[in-house]
Amino acid sequence: MTIDFWGLGLQAVNVLILIWLLSRVFWRPVAAAIAKRQETAEEVIGSAKATQAKADTALAEATKARAGIAEERAAMRDAARIEAESAAKSTLAEARTKAEAILATAKDTINHEAAAARKANDAQASELSLKIAARLLERLNGPTVQSAFLSQLVDAIADMPAADRKALASDPKGIEIVSATDTGAEQGKVEKEIQTALGGTTEIRFTTDPDLIAGLELRSPHFTLHNSWAEDLKQVRKAVKDAA
Amino acid sequence: MNSPLDSIALFYLGPLPITQAVLTTWAIMAILVIGSYLLTQRMDLVPGKRQAALELIVTTMDTQIVETSGANPSPYRAFIGTLFMFILVANWSSLIPGVEPPTAGLETDAALAVLVFLSVIWFGVRGDGIGGYLKSFAAPNPIMIPLNILQSLTRVFSMFVRLFGNVMSGVFVIGIVASLAGLLVPIPLMALDLLTGLVQAYIFAVLAMVFITSTVEDGQRSERDAAPATPPNQKDT
Repeated sequence: MTIDFWGLGLQAVNVLILIWLLSRVFWRPVAAAIAKRQETAEEVIGSAKATQAKADTALAEATKARAGIAEERAAMRDAARIEAESAAKSTLAEARTKAEAILATAKDTINHEAAAARKANDAQASELSLKIAARLLERLNGPTVQSAFLSQLVDAIADMPAADRKALASDPKGIEIVSATDTGAEQGKVEKEIQTALGGTTEIRFTTDPDLIAGLELRSPHFTLHNSWAEDLKQVRKAVKDAA
Repeated sequence: MNSPLDSIALFYLGPLPITQAVLTTWAIMAILVIGSYLLTQRMDLVPGKRQAALELIVTTMDTQIVETSGANPSPYRAFIGTLFMFILVANWSSLIPGVEPPTAGLETDAALAVLVFLSVIWFGVRGDGIGGYLKSFAAPNPIMIPLNILQSLTRVFSMFVRLFGNVMSGVFVIGIVASLAGLLVPIPLMALDLLTGLVQAYIFAVLAMVFITSTVEDGQRSERDAAPATPPNQKDT
């Protein structure tokens, strides 16, 4: 048994070279890759922790802001409710005022219209009553009534001033006696009493006007002496109208 | 069959006898270096299967170093790891017909043992200084100095003999059985030789690490024992 020391040294050198080469091409690159990944992982973890811390901070701020938003929303809601209530009250009051004004105007309008209607009704009623009265009085037109109207006409002539009565009596155109119906047999009597009342012999013409209803009227070109129920109803109508 | 204790030179480079063990060692070196170079060309941040396998080798080696020594693995990784890989590949090279593993020769195992012996000195001086390294022989007390010196030689010699004996015996037994019983009978023995080769590589690497760690720790312990007691406040500071 012999040991070849040259061979031993050569193998030792070979293994040393192998250790050096593998250290360069295997152990260091692989260990560096592992270390680099660990470093990168630590950086990523650190970055993730920092990001998580930022996210936590942002979350806390967002939570705080959300709470503030809720409070602000509640305050705005309360303010809006108060404003809405105020606006509603104001609008309600304004509407009430307007409604009251409209109601007052409507009441005035109704009152006016009612008054106008009442006046119109009164006018229609008075007109109708006068028509009824005229119809009724028309039935009463007879010799007695005619005689009464003759007496009233004579009295009216007597009550006239003397100058007027004298002017009538001396009127060359004569006078006209108007009756509602033909005087017939009473015509002479009527003419005589009138001439007597006038104190002259003026010409007297007799005419008929059914609108008089009943009565005797003296008419001249410049003078008319009303004496009929038609004129009386006319006066009544005027009085009623004036009263309304 | 030649004697396993003899190494026959195939040719000479000057005074250097080039044996088959040397040629096989160069082939193993070429395979390991070129293979490592090719495999470590593209190291990405996100590893693929290839890179994951490479990182698994390195991580496993680091784990073994840490579990054995408790120290930072980076100073020892290249030496211990290369020893393991070379011995493993050398042991398993016996599976290739016609190839005799370099570790079945005296010179290769002796060279590995010498390297371990020198590495113990190197790492001891590097870790503790020359004084610290020399003081490691006085652990636990100066009486042990002769025994420690003797131990530093014998433990390396035992590594050399263990590796040589196991690998050489395996190769020798397989050769004898193959010459007697034909082609298929040695296969179980070759499978057993695979396991033996792995175990021997592991044992050699672990023992080398243990010896280095022991020396470094003994030197540090000796320095701590020699140093004056540090005041508590200064120590805290």
